[in-house]
Amino acid sequence: MPSATALRIQIEHTLERRFPAALTPVPRTIRETTPTGVSEVDKLLEGGLPVGAISEVTGPESSGRTSLAISFLARTTEEGRVCAWVDADDAFDAESAAASGVSLNQLLWVRCGSAGKLPKGKPYARLDQAIRATDLLLQAGGFAALVLDLGSTSAEYGLRIPLATWFRFRQAADRTRCSLLVLSQAPLAQSSAAVVLECAPLCAKTRDETVLSGYSYEVRSGRQRFTPALATARKPPASTWSATGTWEREKRA
Amino acid sequence: MKPENKPLYAAVHAAEFPAQTLQRLRPELQPDAIAVLDGRAPVETICSLNRRARQKGAALGMTRLEAESIPGLRLFPRSAENEDAARMALLECAAHFSPRLEDKSQGTACVCMLDITGTERLFGPPETLAERLRAALVAAGFRTSVAVSSNFHAARLKAAATRGITVIPANQEADALAKLPVELLGLAPEQTEIFVMWGVLTLGELAALPQVELVTRLGAQAAELRELARGALPHTFQPIEREFTLKEVCEFETPVDQSDSLLFVGARMIDCLVARAGARALSLASLQVQMKLEGEHAYRRVIRPAIPTTDRKFLLKLLQLEIAAHPPQAAVLSLTLSAEAGQSIKVQLGLFAPQTPDPSRLDITIARLKAIAGEDRVGSPVLEDTHRPGSFRMEHFSVANMQSSAAESNAPAQTRMALRRLRPPVPVRVELRDGKPVVFRDNERRFKVDAAYGPWKSSGCWWCDDGWNTEEWDVLAETSDGSSVACVLVRNVDVQSAATTPAYEHSIWQLEAFYD
Repeated sequence: MPSATALRIQIEHTLERRFPAALTPVPRTIRETTPTGVSEVDKLLEGGLPVGAISEVTGPESSGRTSLAISFLARTTEEGRVCAWVDADDAFDAESAAASGVSLNQLLWVRCGSAGKLPKGKPYARLDQAIRATDLLLQAGGFAALVLDLGSTSAEYGLRIPLATWFRFRQAADRTRCSLLVLSQAPLAQSSAAVVLECAPLCAKTRDETVLSGYSYEVRSGRQRFTPALATARKPPASTWSATGTWEREKRA
Repeated sequence: MKPENKPLYAAVHAAEFPAQTLQRLRPELQPDAIAVLDGRAPVETICSLNRRARQKGAALGMTRLEAESIPGLRLFPRSAENEDAARMALLECAAHFSPRLEDKSQGTACVCMLDITGTERLFGPPETLAERLRAALVAAGFRTSVAVSSNFHAARLKAAATRGITVIPANQEADALAKLPVELLGLAPEQTEIFVMWGVLTLGELAALPQVELVTRLGAQAAELRELARGALPHTFQPIEREFTLKEVCEFETPVDQSDSLLFVGARMIDCLVARAGARALSLASLQVQMKLEGEHAYRRVIRPAIPTTDRKFLLKLLQLEIAAHPPQAAVLSLTLSAEAGQSIKVQLGLFAPQTPDPSRLDITIARLKAIAGEDRVGSPVLEDTHRPGSFRMEHFSVANMQSSAAESNAPAQTRMALRRLRPPVPVRVELRDGKPVVFRDNERRFKVDAAYGPWKSSGCWWCDDGWNTEEWDVLAETSDGSSVACVLVRNVDVQSAATTPAYEHSIWQLEAFYD
């Protein structure tokens, strides 16, 4: 009676033309991740955002994209690493970032589209600046995280970014071990993105109906390139998380 | 006197120094016939020229008109600033062999005397030292002759009269100088005339004259001339106090309006500066770029790398980006690069230290980013010490002085709501009910307010022109396309007018930010 190994080899040999290595499990590469600082999202992503890859956080305004990105930067700068924020719409709020724990002296902020110089309603120049700046920063290396903020740019314009640009970003991010986080209204990087998170607003939290104290968000994992399909199916596809106002007192144990 | 205590001098003679100065920073002039004009226009005369210019028929003292008639001869004006910078470089180079230097330049020749007594152990015998000295000067862009002698003046005269390297053995100075012409002594015209009348044409012939009779006929100064000719005149060495300045100057024959041409010369200047700083184990901490422009304009920029460096390519790239970002407004007449020396930074990197950008490369990246986004729009945000909403300033981003916050975490335990600011804030038209906003609209969308929390009043700096007086509302609204947003509405009240009339009459509603 042939052994199990011999049988496996025989079956694999028979099916070799149609299914190469049919019974041999595919080796799984464990990707390095960086926690986002939001436990619900980290659980959804099995650890955090992938290092050396493109992650997209998409959704409409007030869907928690920026809060998530700033929380991610806070965790990254906390480890003494250097980050960059390429701001296509000049929307970054330094006060919010500082209140969330981002070490501002470890953050390089590139404010695209100098006010008054570029025509309003024509975001191509700002987009062009943002893409060129991202390219430079990715090529320079040394940045642990880079946020490309296209959150206020309409998807109509964002989708016109050539796929070759995202391929180039993916290669550069992989080479320099930089986590590129793209904030946008719709997925833009297509197959170049390792992770796509779709965010949506849920409900506001108030204190005594007089003060806005926080907001709940829903986040859905749209795509996870490095996770096997079987494993993904068992995981919850969506999760909820909440953020509190910067004026709210921190709860202490 | 012990042999090792016997004085020994090396003379460095750079003839035609104005012409050499030009060719040093502009190697493309090497194959050309060049002449340097001195004097006031239009009566300038040639004061210095190279060998190829002599071959073409040019000579010292020729007027501009005569010189311009020689085909292929390139004429340049004399630049004292340029020569000073080059002389400084030559002395700097010579200082590697002896700290005791004396500058005996005269006319268009640059003469540097070195006291090399007791340097045998460092550099070997005088022949070896002379060879190394001359090689170092050639590397720095100078063609020189070197003479070594135990007599100061003998070394100086021999270097001026011969090419290459000459080492005069001790006590043979008179023989070594015997065949040199008496003109080398810098005689007065009447003295020259007398010597010609006597048939004394060489130093050997002068040295052979009896001293008493010579002094009787020519006076006491004749004894000094005779000692000079014999190579026996003593000299008290007067070392110069060298000031270490890193400066290179280049004046152009015609105004330059292309940055590539400037960078071509700038690259060579940076090479020289780096080599001079490197010889003292120093780096360049800053580079000051000065240009003299047409129309009496001046151009001045300072390049400060994140860390002192000796990387030529890096400095050249910074110079290129600086000139591209701030191009000169007129054609350039002269380019001056002066550098500030600094200590090289030695950093012990750790295996487990977090990855950070290379400071030098980051400098170039930031310069490129500034060229893309704007000078004041790239950097690290710093919050201002004020209650004014959204107040910050941009500072230069640098990893060199970064204080790691790894040890002291200031991250809150809970995730905070972040704002997305609208810069500038968008003016909106607001409908109020019971003093609260119920509907507002900008030029594109209409927002139906579900809940409004506020107002949160804030004011400050009312005593000056840029004071603020605002009411802030946190608003939950539904847009015309059905999506929910949380945003910040601000009502700005004119500080000056509010003192006399009701505040709402002078208020401006603006959509300032979205919670995201």
